[in-house]
Amino acid sequence: MTKELEKYGLPEDELFARVDNSVFDSEKIMAPRYSYWHSVFRVFFRKRSNIVILSLLGVLLAFTYIYPLVVEYDKYANLMDTAAKHLSPLESIRQFGFNIHWLLGSGAAGQSTFDAIWFGSRISISLALICGVINLTIGVLVGAVWGFSKKVDIIMMEVYNIFANVPYILLVAVLVMILTSSFGTMVFALTITGWLGIAYFIRMQVVIIRDREYNLASKCLGTSIVKIALRNILPFMTSIIVTIAATEIPSYISMEVFLAYIGMGLSDMSLGRLIYEAESAMVTPGWGFEFWSPVVISSIITIVLYVVGQNLGDASDPRTHM
Amino acid sequence: MTKYLIKRILHGLISVVIVVAIVMTIIYSIMDRNLIFAQDSTYSHQKNNAKEIYKYTKWEEYGYLDYVTYADYLLDLTNSGVITEETRSSVVGIGRTEDKDSEAVQEYINKFKEFYESQGYEVIRLDAVMLNAKKVADGGQPRLFAFKQRPLVTRLWSYFSGLITIDNIHNVEGIEGDPGITFTWFDSVYGGDKFSPAILGNGTTHRYLLYFDSKFPYLHQNIITINLGTSYSVNEGSDVFETMNRAQGSYVKSTITYPSGLTEESADDLHTATFVKDSLETSLVYESRFVDDYTNVETVKANLSKIGFSFVIGIIASLLAYFVGVPLGIMMSRKKDKLIDKLGTLYIIFIIAVPALAYIFLFKALGGKAGLPTTFNLESANKLMYILPIVSLALPQIANLMKWLRRYMIDQMNSDYVKFARSGGLSEGEIFSKHILKNAAIPIIHGIPGTILFAMTGAIITERVYVVPGAGNLLTEAIGKYDNGVIVGVTLFYAILSITAIILGDVLISIADPRISFSNKDR
Repeated sequence: MTKELEKYGLPEDELFARVDNSVFDSEKIMAPRYSYWHSVFRVFFRKRSNIVILSLLGVLLAFTYIYPLVVEYDKYANLMDTAAKHLSPLESIRQFGFNIHWLLGSGAAGQSTFDAIWFGSRISISLALICGVINLTIGVLVGAVWGFSKKVDIIMMEVYNIFANVPYILLVAVLVMILTSSFGTMVFALTITGWLGIAYFIRMQVVIIRDREYNLASKCLGTSIVKIALRNILPFMTSIIVTIAATEIPSYISMEVFLAYIGMGLSDMSLGRLIYEAESAMVTPGWGFEFWSPVVISSIITIVLYVVGQNLGDASDPRTHM
Repeated sequence: MTKYLIKRILHGLISVVIVVAIVMTIIYSIMDRNLIFAQDSTYSHQKNNAKEIYKYTKWEEYGYLDYVTYADYLLDLTNSGVITEETRSSVVGIGRTEDKDSEAVQEYINKFKEFYESQGYEVIRLDAVMLNAKKVADGGQPRLFAFKQRPLVTRLWSYFSGLITIDNIHNVEGIEGDPGITFTWFDSVYGGDKFSPAILGNGTTHRYLLYFDSKFPYLHQNIITINLGTSYSVNEGSDVFETMNRAQGSYVKSTITYPSGLTEESADDLHTATFVKDSLETSLVYESRFVDDYTNVETVKANLSKIGFSFVIGIIASLLAYFVGVPLGIMMSRKKDKLIDKLGTLYIIFIIAVPALAYIFLFKALGGKAGLPTTFNLESANKLMYILPIVSLALPQIANLMKWLRRYMIDQMNSDYVKFARSGGLSEGEIFSKHILKNAAIPIIHGIPGTILFAMTGAIITERVYVVPGAGNLLTEAIGKYDNGVIVGVTLFYAILSITAIILGDVLISIADPRISFSNKDR
């Protein structure tokens, strides 16, 4: 018997088994327990690679937010030490002895590139997260109203058509120029029109789902619009919102790097500013490390954030919960 | 369809005007207007009152305000015959301070004040800056003037009404001979015996109105000029449109015949001659070459213009992207979840997630290792220097095309008509090429005009990294140098390109797909 099962590659529990008649069990009417977020995480962790990438994200965040708290960093501490500048990792370890600070060599002022990167990424990641939260919140709320109301739609379409034509760099640069190039200004500049694109995207999704049969049925049964939005449409949108977040948050880091590169970035030592200041070192033989380290680390940060977000987006789609 | 298109174009033009109005409000009203002098060396050399006056003249020149000096006011009065020249010269000099004015001067100063204050101007008197009791400091002469902020509507109106100028035989004064238009079969620039028709004007701003030369598109005109706004610090005194379109690089000499009959090897482009009043007598060089005041010529240069470079690089990159991205996208969707799909997705993730700056530098470093030139050199004839900028521009476009084409094709793969075609016995190849691709390509086709038009604006990072003399950096350069004219001009240019791209895209998909129609009748 078992031999024959093996021949067809079937497991033993595929076979019929006898079930005794139970009055108690037959009276119980119950669907399997389903909890949305529980299922999201079950699906997310089913893929082993997600655990690896999530722990990588954990390490990155720990370095970004905890490491600067423990370590003292002074950019100009080695300013007078001419032998400390522009060192490759091996040279700087020879110079200062083995220490985590010197893993990536030293920069133009003799500072540790490793420390500079984590202090910079704290600013960059915070900027990206804050801008992401603000833009997504406004974008999703406005987008939902925009999708539901026909009157709002007419006005918002015009607003969108106009603001989509104002060059983004111009807006950011002028704001940075009028105010100061501080963290707050940058958040303001990136969020003042940043939510429009998200709202437009959400509007399209709402328009697609809004007139489906089950929503029409809900409406006919007298469900309020708010309830339809929260109960019928929001679950559909969760995976879309998470996916948008996955593309938006790394894009703010890229945007910050870009703005810093064209000389319109933050005055704080962000990742973008690090790259901008080390650009001249790229072409100098032997100094490449101080340029490539922030570039590579910022790429790793954006890739990890993107992949985690995308996979979380996939997992939060209820259709994958089977 | 025509009615719909006209409606769309009008709609687009309105939003362009609003965009320009927003940008003007931002830069003229919100931004600190002293910033525009940051790069101006003339300004930093001025002292005391002269510095203030210089600021106001520049502000007037760049459209911030209307500004009138007391002397101009008196000159106007003299010209209109209200006062005589003697009166003018006797009252034009104002005292060092207000209480030192003579009575006659006071009378006219009061008139000046009254006249302009009634029109909403603000009158400002700057007292003399004294070095000692008797000597006035350098640039410290007393000044009296009135100014009024220009309201946004006036500014917008003068900007848009001056956008296109049509040359006219009564445009300039002081010409030799009668104003009129002449036609010649044999353009005198080429010695007078070569067949080359041209229309010349006398009394027009440009000497040549229509002419042929050896450069693409061979027939050129000077009748209609586009003025996007005058540059202040990026390319001083020139128009933005000219800045973007003027050739760059080294001079190209050719044998030309000047109006005086002198034949010479020169880089002057006589076809660009414009009128500058009384310029003939100012230099011997002009007198030996020209016979009238049409002396202001541009020079022929060897290389493309800013837009030219951006466009060449952008369009080749886009073509490359379509040729590579579309087949790859199709392949990814056909082999969904297979190796090629996974590799493609990896590449797309790389391009989306990694900051553009990082991968462009990576390509630059890799290209440099492979022996390709990493910086652009105007003087070099080496075509290899185009490779890295083109590849850097094409790679993200390829990723984008792959991503969307794959998405659209996979969405189409589950539709009923595909299942029907399959059950009808069509081969997978036929289904993909004849059914799915046709439907999935529509959004891609919509983007083609945009890709072509936006190749002109150039790419900021790519051009900066490879030192390409293209148009991409114009906006950032203008912002960095606080050049308002260029900022407004470039914004207008971008806005027009973007609405044109969307409208053309809509037209193109309605041609490509007969189901899409924009006229109400067909619906």
